[in-house]
Amino acid sequence: MLFHTWTFAIFFAIVYPVYRAAKGTRFELPWLLAASYFFYGCWNPLYLLLIAYGTVMDYWIVVRMDRSGRKKWWIALSVVSNLGLLGFFKYARFAATNLNWLLAHLGLAYAVPVPDILLPVGISFFTFQSMSYILDCYRGHVERERSFLRYAVYVSLFTQLVAGPIERASNLLRQLRHDRRIAWEDVTDGLSLFLVGLFKKVALADYLALYVNKVYAAPAEFQAPALLLATFAFAWQIYFDFSGYTDMARGIARMMGLRLLFNFNNPYLADSLGDFWRRWHISLSTWFRDYVYIPLGGNRGGQFSTYRNMCLTMVISGLWHGAAWTFLIWGALHALGRVLTRELERSDFYRERVPRLAKQLGVFAFVTFAWIFFRAQSLDDAWLIVSRIFTSGLADPAFPMLALAMVLSIWVYEFLCESKARPLLERAPVRVTMAVALLVYVAVFPGGAAQKFIYFQF
Amino acid sequence: MAHDHENPQPQAKPTAPRIDLRFSSNALLLSGRQWVIAGIIFVSVLVLAPRTGERLENFHPPEDYRIPYDLSNDYWLFGRYARQAASHDRTLVVGDSVVWGQYVKPGETLSHCLGERGGEKRFANLGLDGAHPVALAGLLRYYAEGITRSRVLLHCNLLWTASKKHDLRSEKEFRFNHPTLAPQFVPSIPCYTEPYSRRLGFAVERQVPFFGWANHLRVAYLAGMDLPTWTMEHPAENPLTATRQPLVPAEEQPLHEPISWTARGITKQDFEWVDLETSLQWQFFRQSVEILRARNNKVFALLGPFNEHMLSDESLNTYAARKQMVEKWLRREEIPYAAPAALPSDLYADASHPLAEGYRLLARQLFENDAFTSFAARP
Repeated sequence: MLFHTWTFAIFFAIVYPVYRAAKGTRFELPWLLAASYFFYGCWNPLYLLLIAYGTVMDYWIVVRMDRSGRKKWWIALSVVSNLGLLGFFKYARFAATNLNWLLAHLGLAYAVPVPDILLPVGISFFTFQSMSYILDCYRGHVERERSFLRYAVYVSLFTQLVAGPIERASNLLRQLRHDRRIAWEDVTDGLSLFLVGLFKKVALADYLALYVNKVYAAPAEFQAPALLLATFAFAWQIYFDFSGYTDMARGIARMMGLRLLFNFNNPYLADSLGDFWRRWHISLSTWFRDYVYIPLGGNRGGQFSTYRNMCLTMVISGLWHGAAWTFLIWGALHALGRVLTRELERSDFYRERVPRLAKQLGVFAFVTFAWIFFRAQSLDDAWLIVSRIFTSGLADPAFPMLALAMVLSIWVYEFLCESKARPLLERAPVRVTMAVALLVYVAVFPGGAAQKFIYFQF
Repeated sequence: MAHDHENPQPQAKPTAPRIDLRFSSNALLLSGRQWVIAGIIFVSVLVLAPRTGERLENFHPPEDYRIPYDLSNDYWLFGRYARQAASHDRTLVVGDSVVWGQYVKPGETLSHCLGERGGEKRFANLGLDGAHPVALAGLLRYYAEGITRSRVLLHCNLLWTASKKHDLRSEKEFRFNHPTLAPQFVPSIPCYTEPYSRRLGFAVERQVPFFGWANHLRVAYLAGMDLPTWTMEHPAENPLTATRQPLVPAEEQPLHEPISWTARGITKQDFEWVDLETSLQWQFFRQSVEILRARNNKVFALLGPFNEHMLSDESLNTYAARKQMVEKWLRREEIPYAAPAALPSDLYADASHPLAEGYRLLARQLFENDAFTSFAARP
C-alpha cells in the first residue's frame, strides 16, 4: 500500500477518524498497532511474522537486560538477533554468490546453495529502529518501555515503517507515551507536508524515472550526453522519491499529532560532503554516527583513526543500502570524498577564497558521480557508464526540456529558500498559489500506475 | 554520515538529531485559512477548467461525425458530442462499432442512412468502437448525463453474449475494451485483474468531470499519453503548443477493408452462447436502458441484425432462442424495438457489422417499422 494511491486514501480515511476518537483512551495503541500490522501485511502477510518476532525478541531482551547484571550478553544477543535477521534476508544471497565465485577461482569444485529469498520491505528500517532502542536502553539514555503494546507501535507505526525516517525512542516513543492533543496546526502542517511529498513523488521522481530507467537499462546504447543527463536525472529522482516519501510520512504522522524526525534538508545545496550527510537521510546518518562511528572511536584517536572510522562507517552505510558491490563502492567513494574534502577544508584558500556556489556545484558533481554506482544494475554497467561518459560521442540525449526546466526551477527555489529571499517565498499569496499549482499539476498531468519508492528495496 | 555533528563525549546521550529548522526542504507550510483559500481555488479550477476548455476548444462536428477511432477512450468528448447532438434535437444512435461503422465511411453509417430517409441532421452517430454493453452502461452513466429527454436508438448486439469471453466471464485474464467504464468492484468481473488501487482511482475519476477533461487533453492532444511520457517522445517540444492543434478529425475511410465475410475467408461459426439469465453483458444492456429511461429519454431498441448466415445450425437455434428472450423482455418493459430479419449474407463484413449496402437496407427496414417511425417522428 503506497501513500500515493487511492487504497491508502481509503485506509487512512478509516484509520484516522477512529484514531482521533480513540486518542487518549486505552484503544489508541491497539488501534494503531492493528492499523500498522494491516498496512504492513498488505505487502505480504508472512512479513508480519518477521516484525512480530523482532518486536517480541527486542522487548524481551530489554526486560531481561534491565533485570540482569550481564547487560553485555543481552545486548550481544540482540545485535546477533537483529543483524542475523537482516543478514539472512538481505545478505545471504550476496554472500553465497561471492563465496561461490571465490571457490570457483580457487579451483574448488564446491558451491554453496544460493538462497532465493525475497527481501521483506522495510526490514532495514525497522531493524535499525528497534536496535536504536536497545542500544539506548543499554547506555541508559532512554528508559525501558513498560508497555509492550506501545513498544510494538513504536517499531511498526505505519507512517514510517517501510522507509523511515528511522525513529529514535527518545523521539517517537516519548510522544507515544504522552497524550498530546492534535492541534489544528498539526493537520494543516501535515497536509502541507503530504502535498509537497506527493508532488515530489508523482510529478517529479516518477517523471525522471522514465528517462533514467531507459538509459540505465541499456547504457551501451547511449552516448555521453544521455548518460550524463540520466545520472543527473537520477540524482534528482532519488532525492524527490525518497524525500517525497519522507514528506508524506511526516505529513501523515503530523496529522496524527506525531512529529517524526527531519530527514532531508536541501541536500544538493551542501557545500561539503560532511554537509551533504547532514542534509541527506539525516535519520540514517545520525544512526550511523551514534551507533557505529562513535563506538568505533569517532575522532578521538587522531587523524588516521578518525579517517579510518569515517571510511568504515561509510562503507557499512553503503552495504546497508544493498547487498551488492555497487553499493559498497558507492559507500567507499563517499568515504574517499569525505577524507579528501576534509583535507581540502583545512586549507585557508579553499575555506575563504573558493566561492560557496563553486563548492556546492562541486559537491553536487561528486555526489552525482557516485550515484552512478548506486543506480547501475551491475558493476560492469557502472564501469561502462563511467567509461562511455568520457569516451563516447555526443549524440542528442533527447532529454525532455520540461523535466530539465522543472528540476532547475526547484534547484533555484531551494537556493532561494536558503537566501535572503526566503521571506518572499513565505508570503501567503505565494504559498497558496504554489499549493494550488501543485494540486492542479498532480491532478492533471501524471498518469499510469503508482510507482514504488526506490528506498523500499532497502 | 553526519560525523561533524559528533559529540566530543561519545557516550553522551544521543537525542533526536538537532536540525536547523529555519531551512526546511518544505517551505510550503499553509495555515488553516490558507488551506481553505487554496481548497476553494482548487475546487473552482476543477469546476471551471472543463467548462472553459469546452468553450475554448474548436469543436464543430459535421453532420456524419463519429468519435475518431484514436479517441475511442475520450469519454469526455463522447459526452460533449452527445450533449451537443441532443441539444439540436437529433436522435442519438448509441451502440458499439456496429453503430460506429467499422467497415464503412462516415457517410455510409446507420445514422447517415437513417438521416437520408428521415431528414438530414436528424440522427447522430454515437457509436463507440469496442463499447460492449458493460462499458456502454458506464459510458451512459458517467459521461452522458447531458442526454435527457432525447430520442435514443440503442443498439443491442448479441455478439457480446456469444461466449464466456465476450461476456467478460472468462476466468482467464485478458484485456477487454474500456475497462475504466466497467464496474470496478461489484459485480465482479473474473477476467479483470487490475490492482484495487487503480480500480479505486477509476471509480473516483469517472465521478469528477475534471478528470474526464484531463483525460480528454491526454487522449486528444498528447496521443493518448500522459504528459511525462509525451515529453519523452517529444523532448524539445512545448506541450502547450500541442493543445493548440485542432482535434483529430474523424476517419473519412472505413477502418477495415469493406468486403464481405465470405471474401474475408471467415467460415461458419459455432458460438458457445452464454445463458442470458446469467449474462453480464445482457444485465448491463438492461441497465443502459434503465439509465436512459430514468433520464426521461425516449428509448428505442434495435436488436441485430446479426449475421445469422455465419452461424452453424445449432448455434443459430440458440441465437434464435436468445433473441426471443430479448424481445420478450423488451415487450414486457414496454420498450419499442425492432428486430429486423438478417440481411443478405453478402452485406455483412463479419458476424455483426453490415457493409454500406447493409446499412442502407437496414435503414429502409426500420422506416417500414411502425414502432420506429412512431419513435422517430418529431412531436
